Amino acid sequence: MKATLEVINRMQAEGIIGQYAIGGAVGATFYLEPSATLGIDVFVSLKNPQASPLLTLTPIYDYLTSRGYKTEKEYLVIEGWPVQFLPPGDALDEEALQQAVETEVEGVRTWVITAEHLVAMALNTARAKDFARILQFVEAGVLDADKLDPILKRHGLLERWEQFGVKFLRGPDASGRGNP
Amino acid sequence: MSDWMRKVLERKRATRQRLQALSFSEKLKLLEKLRERNLVIARSPLRRQQHHKV
Repeated sequence: MKATLEVINRMQAEGIIGQYAIGGAVGATFYLEPSATLGIDVFVSLKNPQASPLLTLTPIYDYLTSRGYKTEKEYLVIEGWPVQFLPPGDALDEEALQQAVETEVEGVRTWVITAEHLVAMALNTARAKDFARILQFVEAGVLDADKLDPILKRHGLLERWEQFGVKFLRGPDASGRGNP
Repeated sequence: MSDWMRKVLERKRATRQRLQALSFSEKLKLLEKLRERNLVIARSPLRRQQHHKV
């Protein structure tokens, strides 16, 4: 993983990508116990080529494939780890990227999406595995309600959070956010 | 809930807390091991046979 992050950092230093942050299961591992995953989700800000309104991952693919890295479905395999580069799909992703937490992996600087943003993004995506991950966050007690509530409110996820609480945590008779 | 089951759950919770408290670097090393094991399982002929049955 260290070598993978070094390559991504080099891409950033060389201007191929802008700011980046690790999300998905690997990002969640920053806060929780490790859980198996196929690859690394890297949210990344891209620079529009020649002021084009279209965002493209082509510079990333060109950079990496010209250095011998292979593609594998939607992943680019960098130093043994499949990496999926994800440009922000909405305002929530964008905010998550901007507010990512700086950390280190074996001395290599990197950024991880905050626990509260990971939960909001999981709630937004709403697959079964996303709900399972939200439950892990809640049970681990790592969420800060003072941070989570405004994020959910800003991105129109309060109702979905309420539904999640009713369905998976407390049933229909109780109420309350932050600790659903 | 039986005492035995309660102890099992307590041990699981303690293990989770211990793993959660590791540094990110240590957790990622565990993640790499998990992934290597998953790849071995995925390559197993036994698993492929099961997959075809489904």
